[in-house]
Amino acid sequence: MEMPLVEILRSMEFEGVAIDVEGLTNYSKELELTLVDLEKQIKSFVDFDFNVDSPKQLGDVLFDHLKISAKAKKTKTGQYATSEDILVKHEKDHEIIPMILDYRQLRKLKSTYVDPLPTLCDAVDGRIHTSYMQTVTATGRLSSNSPNLQNIPIRSARGKEIRKMFIPRNEDFKLLAADYSQIELRIIAALSDDKNMIEAFQKGYDIHAATAAKVFHVPLEEVSRDQRSSAKAVNFGIIYGQGAFGLAQNLGISRTIAKGIIDGYFEQYASIKTYMDKAVNDARENGYVETIMKRRRYLPDITSANAVVRGFAERNAINAPIQGSAADIIKLAMVAVHEAMKNTELKSKMILQVHDELVFDVHKDEIDELKALVKTAMEGAIKMVVPMEVEMEIGENWLDAH
Amino acid sequence: MLTPVVDKKIFLLDAFALIYRAYFAFAKNPRVNSKGQNTSAAFGFTNAMIDIIQKEKPTHMAVVFDAPGGATNRMEDFAAYKANREEMPEDIRSMLEPIKEIIKAFHIPMLMLEGYEADDIIGTLAKMAEKEGFQTYMMTPDKDFGQLVSENIFIYKPGRGKDPASIMGVKEVCEKFEVNDPLQVIDVLGMWGDAVDNIPGIPGVGEKTAKKFIQQYGSMEELFKNTADLKGKMKENVENFQEQGLLSKMLATIIVDVPVPFDPIDLRLDEPDKEAVLKIFTELEFRNLAKRITGEEIIVTAAGNNVDGQLDLFGQQSLVVNQEPMTTAELKTIATENPSYHLVNTPEERSKLLDLLLQQTQVCFDTETTSLDALHADLVGIAFSWKEREGYYVAIPKEFVEAKKIVDFFEPFFSSKTIEKIAHNIKYDIQVLNRYQTKVSEPTFDTMIAHYLIQPESKQSMDFLAEYYLRYQPVSIEALIGKKGKNQGNMGDLKPEEIVDYACEDADITFQLKQIFEPEIQNLI
Repeated sequence: MEMPLVEILRSMEFEGVAIDVEGLTNYSKELELTLVDLEKQIKSFVDFDFNVDSPKQLGDVLFDHLKISAKAKKTKTGQYATSEDILVKHEKDHEIIPMILDYRQLRKLKSTYVDPLPTLCDAVDGRIHTSYMQTVTATGRLSSNSPNLQNIPIRSARGKEIRKMFIPRNEDFKLLAADYSQIELRIIAALSDDKNMIEAFQKGYDIHAATAAKVFHVPLEEVSRDQRSSAKAVNFGIIYGQGAFGLAQNLGISRTIAKGIIDGYFEQYASIKTYMDKAVNDARENGYVETIMKRRRYLPDITSANAVVRGFAERNAINAPIQGSAADIIKLAMVAVHEAMKNTELKSKMILQVHDELVFDVHKDEIDELKALVKTAMEGAIKMVVPMEVEMEIGENWLDAH
Repeated sequence: MLTPVVDKKIFLLDAFALIYRAYFAFAKNPRVNSKGQNTSAAFGFTNAMIDIIQKEKPTHMAVVFDAPGGATNRMEDFAAYKANREEMPEDIRSMLEPIKEIIKAFHIPMLMLEGYEADDIIGTLAKMAEKEGFQTYMMTPDKDFGQLVSENIFIYKPGRGKDPASIMGVKEVCEKFEVNDPLQVIDVLGMWGDAVDNIPGIPGVGEKTAKKFIQQYGSMEELFKNTADLKGKMKENVENFQEQGLLSKMLATIIVDVPVPFDPIDLRLDEPDKEAVLKIFTELEFRNLAKRITGEEIIVTAAGNNVDGQLDLFGQQSLVVNQEPMTTAELKTIATENPSYHLVNTPEERSKLLDLLLQQTQVCFDTETTSLDALHADLVGIAFSWKEREGYYVAIPKEFVEAKKIVDFFEPFFSSKTIEKIAHNIKYDIQVLNRYQTKVSEPTFDTMIAHYLIQPESKQSMDFLAEYYLRYQPVSIEALIGKKGKNQGNMGDLKPEEIVDYACEDADITFQLKQIFEPEIQNLI
């Protein structure tokens, strides 16, 4: 499956994607204004000038002058530590903190994406030609650079603006984004052969609500928002081997309650627990774990005497087959889509792959045909006991196509 | 060539240092000929010697041996000097005569004097040569020679594995020993001692302290005058072991007035006696070396002295086709492998190449271009290999139309649906060829992806894989176009002759790696 992908990636690299350069330039100016304003506000808390971008100076301001915390942590070089996790901890202690977090986030957005993107445009065709690397990740997922598509922020409102800048090639085209819904959960359900979860997927239930219903012993229709959130957190945590502690932190609940939820979870989805234990055992016996397409991940640390290192390897034993299988499926899907498109006269092209989605530059007259083709190809890429579901949307830009 | 071109350039080789080095380099996988002789020491030494002759092109040369009894002066004063040395291994002893024969065949004088070590002879010759206007290079890995270095006398340190050869002049020696004058090296060594030669030094004084003392006091004698500055155990030791310190200094001092003559005519490097060279190489079965020096193939008798005593019925001589040096502890390089790489530059040559290509079932190819950005890179050449240690490099002109003509010529190869096309990171090559409207058809094989599936978390660069799986160190691209960074040159600026070896080697190695990876992949599925 990897070799056919070579040509597909090559042609995607060749195609490139159009971006809204004007939009980016405007957005950059906008951000700069906001940053200047934020900077002023931040500086207003003390009566001298300082460089907000200097962690050392900032640390001094926060902990020496404003005395935000009595027990300030220090870094190796003796400065005050001002990393994000530390600032987040003190978020409620002073109004300057959220401003600094905001400031930093915007700075990063601007310098990592907004400003560099226009410079990456090809001199001749004005498009951005991201490079795909097939041999970089340990999981089997593709990675990209110039630009790195994976890291474009998707949650923050401001981050989403970046996605808005990726546009169709001209007015006759639109962007189509096709995304696998909950591919990892489906995979774990299939790999563990858990009847309850499989049934939920087969019947098309909202998997998080369904999980909540089972764990909290309430009927599906009566699941509360909070319960669903908790269930969702567990669902995703499980894939990464998260324990009670991590879940508690995540949901802002006590460890005991978190443990209770997890216990309830495994009561309902017993086979998943079995799968997880088996994965760790397999890793110990064979030295590696496998995905559905037999992609291997070697885990030598699984026998380490150091509990932290070993724990990391154990979580990987659970996660690697899932991530890796997701990677396998997406790659198979790309090959399937490409094959299907080869046999047509479509002007539309597959242009981007990131996370669990494929993005197409689609001609407005070909929308229906392409949607059908992509849905069939992606959902049929692999036969699993759990059906694959693909969500698709059309938009004038990548943000709208979500 | 590391050394500058001058009229009078003399290389003085420390024979035993180089012989031992060669021997140990092959220790894990020694080179053994059909007669059962371990020829590693001779092979390694000879290789190093020939390398110097061909690379640095000295005008004069001598190989210097230690006298069997050792240095009388040092032994007399300190019986334990070099007493910790183990006895000479049989595999070295047995090669001494052949080595001497080889040196003789090359018309290079061998020097040795009763009662003196090679160091002393080299030191003396170096100083005399300097007076006669020579640039002298002392070829040895031994740091003691630092004391002899001057504006015209240098240490030539042979390369080791990945590290290339290097030259140490006054500046480098002073830096290394942290002294102002090379002679102070003796003081440093005298204090520090040397476990290898069993020079005691002053107890409690190691490398760091020795260097510190010299920086402060300039010499061992000055240190002894100023022991009042010291405290505690250190003071005790320095004061109590003064005599031992001075003795050690003497032991470390290289004598520069050994009664040897300096005869420039005798030491001049002349053409080797090809027949004699052939004879000894045939005996030792140094096939590739023979070809390198004389251009001739040697014929080796495999029968006769066989281990199991079998005699060929007709007593025939047979060409031993597979006299490969086995994998060695040190890495193989293009110099040790002596492959057949060819430059393809004319229409007839291209025609012939295409014919050969179309007869194959699997061929490895590698593009050389002007940029890592495949979408904009210009082709400089394409290398092909389908047999180990064989490669062909097609030079491609800068001008696009001309370039395309040549690429088009090879279209039958690239579009063939029966020949498996192999490359490392084939996506890049395909993208480059795409600019010339040439498509690459399946079947294809990418060694980078293959290895990624075998070991996803390892390095995937070709150089790394070559070293790891083939114990081979490729010519580095930096050797061709300079180090990474702003000032790195461009492939497009080089002449085809300069690229042939590098490019063919890439294709050759990748082809070999494919043979290793393919079965591994089958195991995974």
